[in-house]
Amino acid sequence: MDFLQISQTGLTVIIGTIALALFGIFFGLVYKGIDRKLSAHMQGRIGPPIRQPFRDVVKLFTKENIVPENAIPWIFNLVPLVGLVATISILLYLPLGGFQPLFPGKGDLILILYLLIIPSLAMVIGGFSSGSPYATIGAQREMATMIAYEFPLAIIIITIAWRLSIQGVTNVFALSSIAATPVWNIAGPLGFIGFIILLLVLVIITPAELSKIPFDSPEAETEIAGGLLTEYSGRNLAMFYLTDGVKTVAMASLIIALFFPYNLSPLFGLESYPAFAVDIAFYLAKVFLVILFSVTLIRVSVARLKIDQIVYTYWVPLTLLSLVGLICIMWDQTIMANFGLQPVFEMLGIV
Amino acid sequence: MNVADLIDLLLQHSPALIVAVPLLGAFITPLISRLNDKVRNVFVILTLGLTASLVFLLASDVFTGNIHTYIFGSQDLALPVVRILFEVDAMSAFMAIISVILSLVAVIYSWSFMKENTGLDKYYTLILLMTAGMLGMELTGDLFNFFVFLEITSISSAALVAFWTNKAKSVEAGFKYIVISTIGALFILFSIALFYGQYNALNMAMIASAMQYTFLDKIALVLLIAALAMKAGVVPMHMWLPDAYSKAPSSVTLILVGATQASLYGVFRVCFTIYGGAINLSSISIGWILVILGIITMLLGVAMAIIQTDFKRLIAFSAVAEIGYMLLGIGTGLVVMLNPEMTATGLAAMKGGIFHIMNDALDVGLLFLVAGAIYYATKETSLNKLGGLARNMKYTTVFFIIGLLAVSGMPPMNGFASKLLIYESTYQLNPILSIIAILSSIMLLAVFVKVFHSAFLGPALPKFENVKEVPKSMLIAMGTIATIIIIFGLFPEIIVNSIVEPAANALINYGDYVREVIPSFTGGV
Amino acid sequence: MFTLEPLLETFQTGSGFWSPIIWIVAIIVAFLVAVILRGFGKKEYKEKTGQTQAFLSGNPEYEKEQMHIKGSNLYWGFTESLEWVFDALKKMHTGNVSDYALWFVIVVAILFIVLITGENLMGAI
Repeated sequence: MDFLQISQTGLTVIIGTIALALFGIFFGLVYKGIDRKLSAHMQGRIGPPIRQPFRDVVKLFTKENIVPENAIPWIFNLVPLVGLVATISILLYLPLGGFQPLFPGKGDLILILYLLIIPSLAMVIGGFSSGSPYATIGAQREMATMIAYEFPLAIIIITIAWRLSIQGVTNVFALSSIAATPVWNIAGPLGFIGFIILLLVLVIITPAELSKIPFDSPEAETEIAGGLLTEYSGRNLAMFYLTDGVKTVAMASLIIALFFPYNLSPLFGLESYPAFAVDIAFYLAKVFLVILFSVTLIRVSVARLKIDQIVYTYWVPLTLLSLVGLICIMWDQTIMANFGLQPVFEMLGIV
Repeated sequence: MNVADLIDLLLQHSPALIVAVPLLGAFITPLISRLNDKVRNVFVILTLGLTASLVFLLASDVFTGNIHTYIFGSQDLALPVVRILFEVDAMSAFMAIISVILSLVAVIYSWSFMKENTGLDKYYTLILLMTAGMLGMELTGDLFNFFVFLEITSISSAALVAFWTNKAKSVEAGFKYIVISTIGALFILFSIALFYGQYNALNMAMIASAMQYTFLDKIALVLLIAALAMKAGVVPMHMWLPDAYSKAPSSVTLILVGATQASLYGVFRVCFTIYGGAINLSSISIGWILVILGIITMLLGVAMAIIQTDFKRLIAFSAVAEIGYMLLGIGTGLVVMLNPEMTATGLAAMKGGIFHIMNDALDVGLLFLVAGAIYYATKETSLNKLGGLARNMKYTTVFFIIGLLAVSGMPPMNGFASKLLIYESTYQLNPILSIIAILSSIMLLAVFVKVFHSAFLGPALPKFENVKEVPKSMLIAMGTIATIIIIFGLFPEIIVNSIVEPAANALINYGDYVREVIPSFTGGV
Repeated sequence: MFTLEPLLETFQTGSGFWSPIIWIVAIIVAFLVAVILRGFGKKEYKEKTGQTQAFLSGNPEYEKEQMHIKGSNLYWGFTESLEWVFDALKKMHTGNVSDYALWFVIVVAILFIVLITGENLMGAI
């Protein structure tokens, strides 16, 4: 690798990061607007216009950026930035708009799992560092929620990787390999049921990952006044607002990459620019559908759970459910190998 | 004689010198203490510095693939004369590097940390003895000699755990430690006797080459694994560890981490080298025992850590959990060792486990030093009484954040690299293993975020208004470890290729270790 | 000769990879983007006024000691819903050295059973 190549890679990183940051922020806010509009309609309200989130950010930028006297200023001001930055960096490793990830060989699924923790961790530390009892209670709830949903999430991620490794795929944790081998194509009947269960669990994990109802007890406006964001205002709050938007896009893209990595262009036999346009439009539609099902529909239809209920929900029913999914997928292997169609054909001498 | 010859000579005798220098230093320390406290501190630091440079010199040669042997006694191996053999392969050298770094940092830290105490001549003597014991355990090729060094380490650490004799709980912890160590050591001695009775040998390589895996060997294996695992703090025999770790002075705790890992090294040496040939004979894999112990250790360690309210006890329980990762990684390597299809998986898991030994020593060590710094500044370790210290102790806070991220395996710290290796290899053995490893890692994060809040964040408490940043020597000690953590985190590939992989290969290719002493040995290729 | 190349190597695990340097560069760039973005916002606030007091739904602030949530109160929801686990664990840690030795005996016994009886069983099968 000579100097030219290094500088080329460096330039790709710099330009790619800037582009992805703008992409994530813009679409994060757009989808937030759509989500608000839709949920308002579902509740029989008119709701704000779709551009409302942009106006909210502008409004927050004009407000005072208060640092409470109980806070530790350098941590209090730093963590909103850390959260946003880490969330943007997730986009580097995800396949977006039907394309390969920007850095296909530089980071994998486990890295994304850890990077998804950082924004939540930033909010937790921000809440703790603001020195307010409400924020502290909210922050410790967020941390408990995080431990709770990581268990089923880990099961889902490891199961997918394990299934791919059985298939003989190399670099099973790479998003590009996962996107190239959609799980539905390789699963037998039992495995299909297993993956549907895992998808269902992942859809239920998403609202917790994004702190949405019913898993928003860390923020619970009605009881602890916004929880870990109580003391945040002005531009610091705006940073958290943007983080939330970008994280929604990242989480939706992750679900798409894991379960729906299909593109429309091969179907129509398109190439070059028309193919890009179709794929990007299809990707945006998929993101919309994921957000609709995992965020909007869930949050308008159910009420908030208490924190111990959240932990129970994730550690007992959902973990058991995803273990059932895992077992289905494991049995799929043995049953298919022993009693599947292929051995039957072989016995009959057809193949 | 020119410089190159001198270095060659040093290299040739380094296995002996690495143990001899701190041992001799230990006995000279009380004499030098008579002169002046500062001179003594400098002397101890120089002694350990010299030991460290010898270890690095030896390691740099061993990592290229040479195995060093050093014979005390008759040089002719054919003669049945009593002799002691030191045998240094890459795994031994790797462990020696960890031990010597921890000791050196601990001594630098002690300069300010222990300044107010009396009886420091004994303190430094014991630290040097303990270091010599640890290094001896790691370098020796003789099982009885291993036992002797284990005893040296145990006795000196028990005395150091109880160093603050004015505190009843320290003495209690020291007592528990010595009881547990003695029980462990006696069972190790018993298994050595079983070997000696059967094979008429004490040398690890000789026992390995003669290993028949008889009924007595099985008994010896069970006792060795159980006793060494107890000394390494494996659940459910970990209970002495939080007591000892939390009541010892922080600088001592740092070396105790190394001593615990030296026992863990014993487990691996026994399973891989002495019983290396027995894996073929056994229908139940010893590897699965290590894996299951590792999983239990991990889960129980974090679960206990999350409900602790004492800073140092909390770190001690998370140190227990970290030991689970090493057992998981290396156990997986042992399980798949005979399966040719999974060689790459096994090697990756071993690399992860071994890299994690180093990372755990650094991460947990750094956190213990931070706990010590907080104790030094506030005379308080209860999380219910601390608060708001990030205002007064900026550097310590930054070091704590680095330790927090590293121990919970967040990118880009070193813990992430080793845990990544473990997650991305153990899943092939069974997906549940990786799942539990990931879960424990997230819970470790929660554990230390709790500490971060209760000790460093929150409103400025009036009682801590006058708390100041700790003295320079403590900052230097913490800074050194933090720097190593970040470097290891940023360049994991270099570290793994240059020092971790040789160590993993040394354990896997145990035949080379045996052949160095018994050239006719044919197993373990 | 010293070259940059080994420093930029990607960390390979056999099933995945991780390149810290690229991530660090991306993080720095993203940080600059975020800082610039934040720069559009207003920086000032009225220091040492009522607005910097902690929000307690209009109640006056307590003493500082009481404003700090203590370590043992954290993660209430988590410990509450898994209470039976933690109760069992606390019961297990008696702090009594003879119990510590007992656990050692138990482990030795289990390992014996696994390694010796288990092996014979496996052999029989």
